[in-house]
Amino acid sequence: MNAPNESTRAAELKAMQDSIYREKILRARRQTPEERLADVFELSNHQFAMMLGGAMHRIGSTNVEEGWREVARWMRRLDRVREHNHYATERRIS
Amino acid sequence: MKLEELAVLVIEAAEAENVEFMAVGAIAAGAYGVPRSTRDVDLLVSIQFPKKIDALMRRLSSHITFDPQVTFDTLTWGARHVGISRVSPPFKVEFFETFDDPFVVSEFSRRRKVFVPLLNRETWLPTPEDVVVQKLRWGRSKDLDDARDVLAVQGPETLDMAYIEHWCGLHDTLARLHEALAGIPPLD
Repeated sequence: MNAPNESTRAAELKAMQDSIYREKILRARRQTPEERLADVFELSNHQFAMMLGGAMHRIGSTNVEEGWREVARWMRRLDRVREHNHYATERRIS
Repeated sequence: MKLEELAVLVIEAAEAENVEFMAVGAIAAGAYGVPRSTRDVDLLVSIQFPKKIDALMRRLSSHITFDPQVTFDTLTWGARHVGISRVSPPFKVEFFETFDDPFVVSEFSRRRKVFVPLLNRETWLPTPEDVVVQKLRWGRSKDLDDARDVLAVQGPETLDMAYIEHWCGLHDTLARLHEALAGIPPLD
């Protein structure tokens, strides 16, 4: 049996991506706006808990406060990357 | 602190200072689209009485450290105040000031009150149409994903597409709108 060619693999990948996205959409459609909002908060809190665990592992510390300081440092770096060219400290008058 | 606790603090402070506002960013997009995580509580706040924004930040100062440096987005040059929560996690609070941009005026005038059980209070949100227009206007990758998600979850057939197309035409973002719609897979 021949290995699938590039275009077949790309089509299969696209079909898989669409399937995953379709499930996300249908799940969100079954929720009320209030339930979706609750998910935003739950996901956000969970993400920070995971980041704390990652930061403590990264710096080799069991001290939670040290972990949060590392997370805060990561977030400052992330902000600089994400906000580059999107924000300025002086308003340009056109 | 949990993000919802910070959201309640911010909303209560805005109400106490009589600052008109609506939630924007991931919270607004999540209400109408596919929920995603965020570190921000973002509010669009009215500058009808500019000193009230200073009062709002002062009221929150025991919980949030606000950067004294106001920043301006390089797309519309709207003003933004940024704060970081004093207790962990390092959540961010952003206040975007309303200004005389026709779309900003329109979306703020169309905001709607929604009861959020998790917060045990009502808050103000933009309409889903305005979330789509705003996200397509900003055009960063996460914004485009949010716009597509709102279109997909709400369904174009339930949205006022004429309103969305009107503003996208004015913002020159119709191509982004069409791309977002094309990115929605068949749901049957």
